[in-house]
Amino acid sequence: MKTLLSWRAPALSLLVFLLMIGIWHALTLPKVMPVTAESEYAALVGTAAATGQKSAFPSPSDVGRKIMEHLREPFYDRGPNDKGIGIQLAFSIGRVMLGYLLAALVAIPVGFLIGMSPTVYRALDPYIQVLKPISPLAWMPLALFTLKDSSISAIFVIFICSLWPMLINTAFGVSSVRKEWLNVARTLEVGNLRTAFRVILPAAAPTIMTGMRISISIAWLVIVAAEMLVGGTGIGYFVWNEWNNLSITNIITAILAIGMVGMLLDLMMAKLTKLVTFPE
Amino acid sequence: MSDPLIRIEGIAKKFTGRDGVITTVFENLHFGIEPGEFVCLIGHSGCGKTTILNVLSGLEQSSEGYVFVGGREVSGPSLDRAVIFQSHALMPWLTVMGNIAFAVSSRWPEWNDEKVREHCQKYIDLVNLTGAEKKRPAELSGGMKQRVGIARALSIQPKMLLMDEPFSALDALTRGVLQEEVLRICAETKQTVFMITHDVDEAILLADKIILMTNGPRAKIAEIVVNTMPRSRTRHDLHKHPHYYRIRNHLIDFLVDRSKMFSSSAGDYDPRNPPLVTPGLDPNEAPAVDSVKPQVVSGAPLTVVR
Amino acid sequence: MSAFKDPFDAGTSLTRGCSCGHHHSEVEHQADLALQTSDSEALGNRVVEAAVMRAMFPHDAERRRFLNAVGASTAMAAISSLFPLGMAKEVFAQSGPLEKSSIKVGFIPITCATPIIMSQPMGFYGRQGLNVDVVKTAGWAVIRDKTLNKEYDAAHMLSPMPIAISLGVGSSPIPYTVPAIENINGQAITLSIKHKDKRDPKSWKGFKFAVPFDYSMHNYLLRYYLAEHGLDPDKDVQIRSVPPPEMVANLRADNIDGFLAPDPVNQRAVYDGVGFIHTLTKDLWPGHPCCAFAASKEFVTKMPNTYRALLKAIMEATAFAAKPENRKQIAEAIAPANYLNQPVTVIEQVLTGTYADGLGNVKKDANRIDFDPFPWHSFAIWIMSQMKRWGQIKGDVDYAKVAREVFLATDAAKLMKEVGMKPPATASKKFSVMGKEFDPAKPDAYIDSFAIKRT
Repeated sequence: MKTLLSWRAPALSLLVFLLMIGIWHALTLPKVMPVTAESEYAALVGTAAATGQKSAFPSPSDVGRKIMEHLREPFYDRGPNDKGIGIQLAFSIGRVMLGYLLAALVAIPVGFLIGMSPTVYRALDPYIQVLKPISPLAWMPLALFTLKDSSISAIFVIFICSLWPMLINTAFGVSSVRKEWLNVARTLEVGNLRTAFRVILPAAAPTIMTGMRISISIAWLVIVAAEMLVGGTGIGYFVWNEWNNLSITNIITAILAIGMVGMLLDLMMAKLTKLVTFPE
Repeated sequence: MSDPLIRIEGIAKKFTGRDGVITTVFENLHFGIEPGEFVCLIGHSGCGKTTILNVLSGLEQSSEGYVFVGGREVSGPSLDRAVIFQSHALMPWLTVMGNIAFAVSSRWPEWNDEKVREHCQKYIDLVNLTGAEKKRPAELSGGMKQRVGIARALSIQPKMLLMDEPFSALDALTRGVLQEEVLRICAETKQTVFMITHDVDEAILLADKIILMTNGPRAKIAEIVVNTMPRSRTRHDLHKHPHYYRIRNHLIDFLVDRSKMFSSSAGDYDPRNPPLVTPGLDPNEAPAVDSVKPQVVSGAPLTVVR
Repeated sequence: MSAFKDPFDAGTSLTRGCSCGHHHSEVEHQADLALQTSDSEALGNRVVEAAVMRAMFPHDAERRRFLNAVGASTAMAAISSLFPLGMAKEVFAQSGPLEKSSIKVGFIPITCATPIIMSQPMGFYGRQGLNVDVVKTAGWAVIRDKTLNKEYDAAHMLSPMPIAISLGVGSSPIPYTVPAIENINGQAITLSIKHKDKRDPKSWKGFKFAVPFDYSMHNYLLRYYLAEHGLDPDKDVQIRSVPPPEMVANLRADNIDGFLAPDPVNQRAVYDGVGFIHTLTKDLWPGHPCCAFAASKEFVTKMPNTYRALLKAIMEATAFAAKPENRKQIAEAIAPANYLNQPVTVIEQVLTGTYADGLGNVKKDANRIDFDPFPWHSFAIWIMSQMKRWGQIKGDVDYAKVAREVFLATDAAKLMKEVGMKPPATASKKFSVMGKEFDPAKPDAYIDSFAIKRT
């Protein structure tokens, strides 16, 4: 019975997948149209335009072929504006990691201090509340103007959007550490630093990790948009470049790749969260 | 009380409510605990039992009065006084060994890992947890968790042990077993203990002296009952001793009736020297026994309803 | 043109160049200008001297005090003894060691950037000893910011942009230069295929149009065209700024009714069956400029050799692209993903001028796009007249001065000669836009002559 149940979910998933592909395939079946335009004209325009149509949405097999093409050669490098999807993803992941780690370096200690002191918490809260809801991309022009470097600006945007969930969760996690554990530390005459690292940090770790998990998802969402804006390298630039070329197959490929990487990043953080979470 | 290990002088706890009215939880408490003595404090909820324990441990400040340990005033928590918390307060990210080692390495920071481990093992064995060293709290039963709590408190070899209703969250069977363990351990280590409980049988089983608190607010020490039964007690033959029912009836009588009606102005009551009574030696206490409810006769532990 | 001012003239300010500042009369000013135009060799020398003087005396006041105290010739001799000035001049004249051989040039993926792009795959940069990365950029604001940030040493810009940057319109004023025009003609008005029966501009009321940028020839030409047909571009239609790569996607999504855009955007709309080419801009103003090769004045003066090499590569490429027989080859070189990322046939139709118009006709127009690098001062003046006409700049403008400072006709002429092109003898000429003559000497009168304007 149990094995039957465990089979049901994947089977249903597969069914949904096949259904979606089927609908997609049916909707993108090439319409048979008589070729009315003269051949010289037809040679100059796309196949759809030659028959008086707008260019069509690609079929699943077109996209599948494109994906295979990218998988076969993910790391090619043909000049600064044409690199393989693997290289572009690596650029994006690199930027996300750098901005994200910088944010963690700032957010966790600062969040710690905020969480330890209700006064500081209340003093900084209005600023956090105002800064938190700002779309990270709104920072982009300001960053470009002040930092005077587009790749640093992109990293800054990642930094600023990763900062808040980590900061708020760290502060919350630290401020809500069980009083008893702190009392244990006090009765054992444990110093402040040792209490912070041996009691508060592990106690708040699951909450902090939850914040970090939220942050990495946001960072990954934002990097694509930021790179579309600034260009140069990265998966966001890849999407923009293929939009420029109106290549829907490449855009779908990139969307799938973005989704996959996003999922992997989230899974990674979920694993890490599990490592530091202990039931009582 | 010539040279008590711990002396409490006139402590009180007051707080100001939102409407500006000052509420006094308890006031003018005086008592002392001799080295090696096991003292229980019994009272109804709201008389500030836990607060008293926290003041003794240094986790809380009293509004008035002083606490002296070995002649020195208490200004904060200290390794001299280990606390066993009601909810065990084990850190879930540490193993049994880790929880105890955290305490041991706090007590003796200069010790190396090997020495800390050996020391911890000794106390793990003492509370009969041998074999569970690598388990985390989530994998332990309630009783085992509290054993870890006891081992952690004892491992730092404190001058005194403060226990805040340590067995109240446990089932009756486990509680009984742990009470005997505590009895055994205290006999072995000659540990000075101050324990809060609302379980009359637990108090009679474990304590040398039982402090009776009146109901709050403005709770006071009504009297201090001296447990006149011999130290070598077990749960099984406790009720066979002639003093048992006398003391028990005296305590229940107090909790049911007198705790409410106690008046400090009556007679020659001196809060600095609360009356020391020995109901166990008073044959007049005995008759009341038979009128008490059946389960008491059967010897099952009776818990005062909160 | 502070780079060409005599640095040994104590009256000259080198930092914020205003050539008018050191002339006693307009006649002398013009005479000096003529001299500058004719004697480019002497100018080259002065650039070197200026660079050396600037290096030694970063503050203008100090330099003037020094020159006044010792006299120019003594100063020259003294400095020559410390620094081999003669050799430095020689080196510049012969394009000697490059200050920097690895440089970055930004571009927007449109055919206007042809000379900038093709120089990379076709080796024009390499021949000058330059290792150039041509970097595709997402939009005009980004290319402006990245150039101002010095991430790019030089960039492909819309020709009005360096003027706007120098004037401080839309950003803080930074002296910018246009040493070469990228292309002439090469734009078109494209309408959505659903408007194929609305060929009369008078029926376009309520249309939404896209142009690449506010400071673009496209914006000014579209406004001019609409206004000539009696439509007020601010009231009767909507004009919004959309980066060229996003225009076809917007046209397809029906967000806009049409655009005046650079190629290959127009041809791509035809290729994908979403639009048709209404008119080529060359039919509004034959030989109008579009995009520019732009660099900051700082780059021009601090790295004269690199600047010169870069400009020479661009000039050679432009000369190559000007020959119709080379266009197919260029189309193949710049179509791949690293550059324009378009089907080769689309680029080929733009460059060869044999194209599908989106309505089933094949048209032939060899001058659809052409390449002439000379930065006519009169172009700059016309651009400023339109900036003023549409309220982008207010108050009095010294048209001639700005044109001279931004559009470096002298440098262009010199290098054009070197690569075998024939530069014009003067930097200013009259031309007509939609049959209406423009006299660069009287820009204000020109503005006043329009019925629809925002002055």
